Amino acid sequence: MRKNQIVAAVTAITLGAALASSPAAFADEAFRTLDEIKESGTINIGVFSDKSPFGYVDENGDYQGYDVYLAERLGEDLGVDINYVSTEAANRIEYLQTGKVDIILANFTVTEERAEEVDFALPYMNVALGVVSPEDAVIESLDDIGEDDQVIVISGTTAETYLVKNNPEIKLQKYDAYAEAKTAFENGNGVAWANDNTEVIAFSIENEGYVVGIPSLGSADTIAPAVTKGNETLLNWINDEIVALGEENFFHADYEATLLDTYGADYEDTLVIEGGVAAGAETEAE
Amino acid sequence: MDIEVIRSYIPLYRDALLLTLRIGWQGVLWAFVIGLVCTLIRQLRIPVLRQLVTVYVELFRNTPLLVQLFFMYFALPKIGIRISAEVCGSLGLGLLGGAYMAETFRSGLDNIAPIQEESALSLGMSYLQAFRYVILPQAVTASMPGIVANVIFLLKETSVFSVISLMDLMFTAKDLIGMYAKTIECLTLLVVFYLIMLLPVSLLGSLLERRMRRAEFGN
Repeated sequence: MRKNQIVAAVTAITLGAALASSPAAFADEAFRTLDEIKESGTINIGVFSDKSPFGYVDENGDYQGYDVYLAERLGEDLGVDINYVSTEAANRIEYLQTGKVDIILANFTVTEERAEEVDFALPYMNVALGVVSPEDAVIESLDDIGEDDQVIVISGTTAETYLVKNNPEIKLQKYDAYAEAKTAFENGNGVAWANDNTEVIAFSIENEGYVVGIPSLGSADTIAPAVTKGNETLLNWINDEIVALGEENFFHADYEATLLDTYGADYEDTLVIEGGVAAGAETEAE
Repeated sequence: MDIEVIRSYIPLYRDALLLTLRIGWQGVLWAFVIGLVCTLIRQLRIPVLRQLVTVYVELFRNTPLLVQLFFMYFALPKIGIRISAEVCGSLGLGLLGGAYMAETFRSGLDNIAPIQEESALSLGMSYLQAFRYVILPQAVTASMPGIVANVIFLLKETSVFSVISLMDLMFTAKDLIGMYAKTIECLTLLVVFYLIMLLPVSLLGSLLERRMRRAEFGN
């Protein structure tokens, strides 16, 4: 092996590390202010494309769902066109930090860790974790999960973080996207699937043979729009908008338009947060 | 950059590196075996099998590994064929790599002028002797750069393993970013670990290429 090749190798490692860590590359202001968005005439909103009924693409190729219903209204009231950007759970924070989107409206649960990285607006939905399993082998408590059993989770979700933190002994099978996790679960690759309870309830309603054995796990959380850290003008505008929408009971209308078919009327008051005031959630979280 | 964060993530990356290497090398091994079998079938002009090799090579060279893995891992269980994620990974790499290796070996063999085989035969060598002592050494030399490139290509292709839930280097980095949002630390570690995995292969490859050159015709 020649000396200059070793030198080249070492240089490559150092250079790679230096490039990846160079603060200069990240120092630029990553976000667009409210005025800049209005001026450009288009807002970039990150939504899910495979999480029915919250954010998904319908048979005509249009974005639909509870989150998208809100996105449409935000765009309308801002007077700009919407450019939907499809996101995966694990890259929601990245998309905001790198300015690829102005707002994330992808069923984003508010957590302390995430609040250090992005700014959350007022909440518009309640959520907790849930665990769904096949009805012939129902998991009703985390203790039912055997040593060699695998639980399916989606990378970057609160379910993953919760299980990693509180039940590190449980083996997780991680997937990038909702669609893949669902297929893997249907194929029987795991004994259960842990996710937002809204999502697992929807799954058990839409697919025969599955039961939500654990309907609520961990603390009661909320879901809110998120903007890049420090983007105050946009954050304030969204907050004012959510309060104003509360006066016309907008989120109940949203529920009835997008979620009623899946969940029925029973979950309406449990799920919907109107005007950014999460009444029940805070006491439950204690 | 938070050194503490980096330190705490290193064991996870090390596990991912080991998994990536294990499956990656299994895949490379499969690729060699499949590539050699295909080359033999083509070289010996075995009917029917020869046509099947062509179909196989074109099928796997012209579909992305991502699609192949999706098919094996998500579609086959629907018809009752269940393959574990790790086997899917190494088999997928092996099948993809086998197609590339077959082409590389063929180009190495094509590189040798027919007169060499004719000369060897006219000197009284059997066909197998001619292949073993005259053609093969030169063919391996000629294919060496392509083989090394294939190996590196295959090891890099492991980065799509996240779709079948294998915690390779790429998925580990994405997963940690999704959970704790330490982007710079995670991506730096990712670059460093890929280099740790692949630089020795590159260096070893160029060393081998130089050593093999002695079988080159005319040198």
